Amino acid sequence: MIATALAGLVNGGVARSADAAGIAFFEQKIRPVLAEHCYGCHSAAAKKLKGNLYLDTRAGWEKGGDSGAAVIVPGQPDKSLLLRTLRHAEDGLEMPAQADKLPDAVIADFATWIRLGAPDPREGQVAGARRADKSWWSLQPLRREFAHDRIDGFITARLAEAGLALNPPADPRALIRRMSYDVIGLPPSPAEVEAFAAAHRASPRGATEALVDRLLASPHYGERWGRHWLDVVRFGESNGFERNVIIDDLWPFRDYVIRSFNDDKPFDRFIVEHLAGDVIGAGDPAVEVGSAFLVAGPYDDVGNQDAVAQANIRAATLDDVITATSGAFLGLTVACARCHHHKFDPIPTEDYYRLRAAFEGVNHGRRVVSTPEERAAFAAATAPLNERRAALVAERDALEREITARAKAAAAAAANPRPKISPEGTEERFEPARARHVRFVMHASTANPKAATNARLVEFEVWSAGPPARNVALAANGARAEGAKSATAEDFPEAYGPQLAIDGRFGEQWFVGNPAVLTVTLAREETVERITYRNAKDEMIEDKAQGATPTDYDVQVSLDGREWRTVASSAGRQPWSVAHGIERQRREILTPAERRQLAAVNARIAAVDRELKAVPPLREVFVGKPAQPQEPTYVHQGGDPMKPGQPVAPSSPAVLDRVTAPYALPADAPEGERRHALARWLVADNPLPPRVLANRVWQYHFGTGIVDTPSDFGFQGGLPSHPELLDFLARRLLAHGWRLKPLHREILLSDTYLQSAAFRNEGARTDKEARLLWRFPPRRLSAEEIRDTLLVVAGRASGSTSSRKTTSAPISPWIPMVRKPTGAPFTTRMRAQASWTC
Amino acid sequence: MTGLDHTRRAFLGDMTKGMAGVALSRLLVRDLVATPRTPHFPPKAKQVLQIFCPGGASHVDLWDYKPMLEKYHGTPLPGAATEVTFQGKNGNLMRSPWAFRPAGQSGKMISSLLPRMAAHVDDIAFIHSMTSRTNTHGPGCIAMNTGFPREGFPSAGSWVSYALGSLNENLPTYVAVQDLRGEPPNGKANWGNGFLPAQYQAVALAAHQPLRNLARPASVDPAAEQATRDFLHAINAEHAGARPGSDELQARMSAYELAAKMQLAAPDVSDLAREPGHVHALYGTNDANALKAAYARNCLLSRRLLEKGVRYVSLYCASRASAVDGLLNWDAHKTLKADYERHAPIFDQPTAALLADLKQRGLLQDVLVIWCSEFGRMPTHQEGTAGRDHNPDAFTTWMMGAGVKGGVSHGATDEFGRRSAVDVTTVYDFYATVLRLLGLEHEKLTYYHNGANRRLTDVHGHVIDRILA
Repeated sequence: MIATALAGLVNGGVARSADAAGIAFFEQKIRPVLAEHCYGCHSAAAKKLKGNLYLDTRAGWEKGGDSGAAVIVPGQPDKSLLLRTLRHAEDGLEMPAQADKLPDAVIADFATWIRLGAPDPREGQVAGARRADKSWWSLQPLRREFAHDRIDGFITARLAEAGLALNPPADPRALIRRMSYDVIGLPPSPAEVEAFAAAHRASPRGATEALVDRLLASPHYGERWGRHWLDVVRFGESNGFERNVIIDDLWPFRDYVIRSFNDDKPFDRFIVEHLAGDVIGAGDPAVEVGSAFLVAGPYDDVGNQDAVAQANIRAATLDDVITATSGAFLGLTVACARCHHHKFDPIPTEDYYRLRAAFEGVNHGRRVVSTPEERAAFAAATAPLNERRAALVAERDALEREITARAKAAAAAAANPRPKISPEGTEERFEPARARHVRFVMHASTANPKAATNARLVEFEVWSAGPPARNVALAANGARAEGAKSATAEDFPEAYGPQLAIDGRFGEQWFVGNPAVLTVTLAREETVERITYRNAKDEMIEDKAQGATPTDYDVQVSLDGREWRTVASSAGRQPWSVAHGIERQRREILTPAERRQLAAVNARIAAVDRELKAVPPLREVFVGKPAQPQEPTYVHQGGDPMKPGQPVAPSSPAVLDRVTAPYALPADAPEGERRHALARWLVADNPLPPRVLANRVWQYHFGTGIVDTPSDFGFQGGLPSHPELLDFLARRLLAHGWRLKPLHREILLSDTYLQSAAFRNEGARTDKEARLLWRFPPRRLSAEEIRDTLLVVAGRASGSTSSRKTTSAPISPWIPMVRKPTGAPFTTRMRAQASWTC
Repeated sequence: MTGLDHTRRAFLGDMTKGMAGVALSRLLVRDLVATPRTPHFPPKAKQVLQIFCPGGASHVDLWDYKPMLEKYHGTPLPGAATEVTFQGKNGNLMRSPWAFRPAGQSGKMISSLLPRMAAHVDDIAFIHSMTSRTNTHGPGCIAMNTGFPREGFPSAGSWVSYALGSLNENLPTYVAVQDLRGEPPNGKANWGNGFLPAQYQAVALAAHQPLRNLARPASVDPAAEQATRDFLHAINAEHAGARPGSDELQARMSAYELAAKMQLAAPDVSDLAREPGHVHALYGTNDANALKAAYARNCLLSRRLLEKGVRYVSLYCASRASAVDGLLNWDAHKTLKADYERHAPIFDQPTAALLADLKQRGLLQDVLVIWCSEFGRMPTHQEGTAGRDHNPDAFTTWMMGAGVKGGVSHGATDEFGRRSAVDVTTVYDFYATVLRLLGLEHEKLTYYHNGANRRLTDVHGHVIDRILA
């Protein structure tokens, strides 16, 4: 447990009566009750401290618990929360918990005692804090005064306290390797090593400065450091969850990050673009794409129909945005406050929903991201084509109307003496015919009067004349079925195939494809006189047919598979619907001339469509499709979206309201404004973003941050190894106008960075992990560095810093995805999941 | 970077400069070797065999007998006639297409779809009151395996490997045996290490898919390989000699040795040809149904792995959701009868054979068998179909073997199987019980990550005492 100096901060203004009578009253009437009924949950000895309230010292009740204020106001019983809970005047806080109310006489004693001024002789500090409050170190403003003016000053002073010192400078060959990997993620070439070693002999400082400047100017700097950032913001090019669909138009964000690092874009601007790039940069793709940050995380798109599940999925989707934002920029685990007040940090559950209110309009998806010029050019290229197309479609419609009118008349006049087809079994008898091949040509289905594609067939039978009559179409009798299918299953080539229609089983269906023709080749020539088909599967339920059933058809036979003769059809059956009847007549009455006319106009429409398709489309990017929320945001009680609590306005989290200027927007503020307001609050006078960012920069240079939990600066996170240095770096960052490259330069040219990595027993004994930096801490190469090293030394690396493809990479700003032969890709999302909590 | 004109020697030179220069001692930190560790109290079980039937295996058609479904078949589910679940609206109650029959001394009612599994009911402790927080396969599978419906958390097998280490230094501690049809929903996250060190993830292995990149290429001479290893060992030892007292370095060196030993041991354990014919016949490894034969071989492989001391084997029967529900796994949305008459025969004989084989060899003294699926299915049919939709509110899991009382049932669903009603159980209770059997206190098995002491059982979990022997 980390002991903090929280106690004693809240001490003023309490009048105390120390007279002996008061103390005696406390000892006789109050202390025994506290000990018996309260200490179980509210003392240093409590197994589980409740409400962060200690009642075993005076300091405990003066400090108060989760309510944040003293629970006893001396002299004012009615204003004392403690007494109100004893009186059961506080909903949900009736005390003692899960026990009977104390006798009225005892409660009256408490009132008397408080009226006396609550004399309490129990000295002592509040037991070691079990959580942080607003005095927590990371929630304080950045220091302004520093004991040193260079990085090395802070490091060597701390080392000296531990009786240690820096290592001597690193060998130049080791240094150029270290720095190359660190800054650009690639090894130096042998020639570069030799050149640097020679220059270093002549002028160590000059050569090193030149090296730092060369590396920071390299386009590979953005790849290397952009990669770190992409990890921080849980970037992945697939959506995770059940489907893990590849998102192949999120790469512009990746390129945007690399470009921003290479351009040394001020980070405050970068943060605003992440949260509201589309708001501040509408029409400027280079800025708009920044807001893809919001939607670069996993989300569940499985299409759940269950309303409760939908609400939970939506909550989880926004939780990802909240978690990513608070972790990346604030170093706070705000997500822990989703179901209750944060257990360790002073983050009320309302803060979580304040952030949710900011993101309430975020929706995952893609939309056109282009300049006004690009849009104008696209419109100019497509408008004439669309006009031509509309004219052709009008021509076709006129023709169709005329044909349909005739078909309607014919349908009204048609006599259809035979019954409707039935999905549970339809039979056609015909004059016995010799056949080696039987064809079932389908024209319509129960779902579509114009075509039978996508219909389904469980079984198709062809019966011989007999006796005995046999189903000669059965596969078991040697028949074969051919036909297109409309569905496939990756690793079941036979699934949904036409063979299922002649397998003699009522289980699986053939999914009819295009053309909708089933051709059955019999084992031998047969005399056939009857077919049946069905789409009903089993007798389990009332609604037996699965999917659409063919309704209109011809049955044809052939001896050679080339010449076909129609022996039966659906003609004369009651049509499945009025529309089916009209379509059937339409097929009959269409003249050859009309057929040609229709074909011609359709061909011309298709030609225009091809031209339209040839116009390069406006670029769509997965930047999200924000939409104004229809409802206010509510606290979800216990994190359950089915239990809305009080409404919460889009406003600044209260956790920092002592050190930052708060804001509050109306509940129905435009959603873009909400994100923009949050972004401005992050970069205005907020100490956390620069502190968290400076720590990340340090972390990637030295392997471990000054705070070793870079996304958790709260009570459960690590404490800074060099608190003053951390603020110094944050101040330097601000002094550099939020630009990283000058900060890198200061770090890279520090003696601390330039020292050797050599192992020393005395250092390891005191500081095994070298957190105090008595040596440069060695680190493992990352997978990307190993891969890129292989490519570079093999001469296979391409020079490009960006790629539109998700599947191949010149240099690794990402891990190339492995698409398994029988499965979804996993690599991307697995990579981005590391920062998830709760 | 442009191409450099390289000789092989320069290439290797660059490689070693590039890698070794930066990396070194960090490479050597707390790594790979997972030696056995002591549990919190004396364990009943030392190993775990997990059998996972992905897709949402229907409790009311396999394990959970609901006579009321028979009686009220074709009528609306009382009070929920128009319920909308995962895929949409539900129709009326639908009886199981298969009769349930009493089995064993305990007379447990079991679906006639599983005639051979019925022989084991007296050794099984059923948990009929399971519930899940999600109705979606991917999240459901990882919730059943990690306790969380989101990726990023360690699977139970990883937790157990982390807690107890290896029993056989020549083989992986944790093996995931996947189905011929492919990975389960959400794939590798089901056996991932989450935030635990990577050494605790499962090694994926199956009878049809031996360990990858394990064999020595034919072009490499065995003597040369041995000589290389000896040389490596020599320079490692020299390096270690210059750094006295570095046990991490020693650990790292043994990790490389392990890889070499595994090269010999792994092909041996997965060589099913060493098994006699009657064993193959018992499992059905030569069945005409290729999927059944493949699963049977995986069952046999699992037994061999357990016999050799692999700590945790996750055996999958079926794979992910396919374009059409119910084809590749137990997700019978539309055609329950056809689907389960495909899946049950694949599952029944090989699983029953594996259990019988474990028992007859005395392996159930040490091996805890757990069976799971990510959720159950609705007692109603899905509107317009003869299948059932997802049901996270009720499903069955079971345990058997070391430390488990046989022939008992814990918890119950309501009369139709729609919701768990008696002794409602969660995945946290399930794993609290598994950990207890392994001698671990679930509240004490923690790992600090991102500001929290994480547990397999999150902040929940009660041991199900009733099923402990």
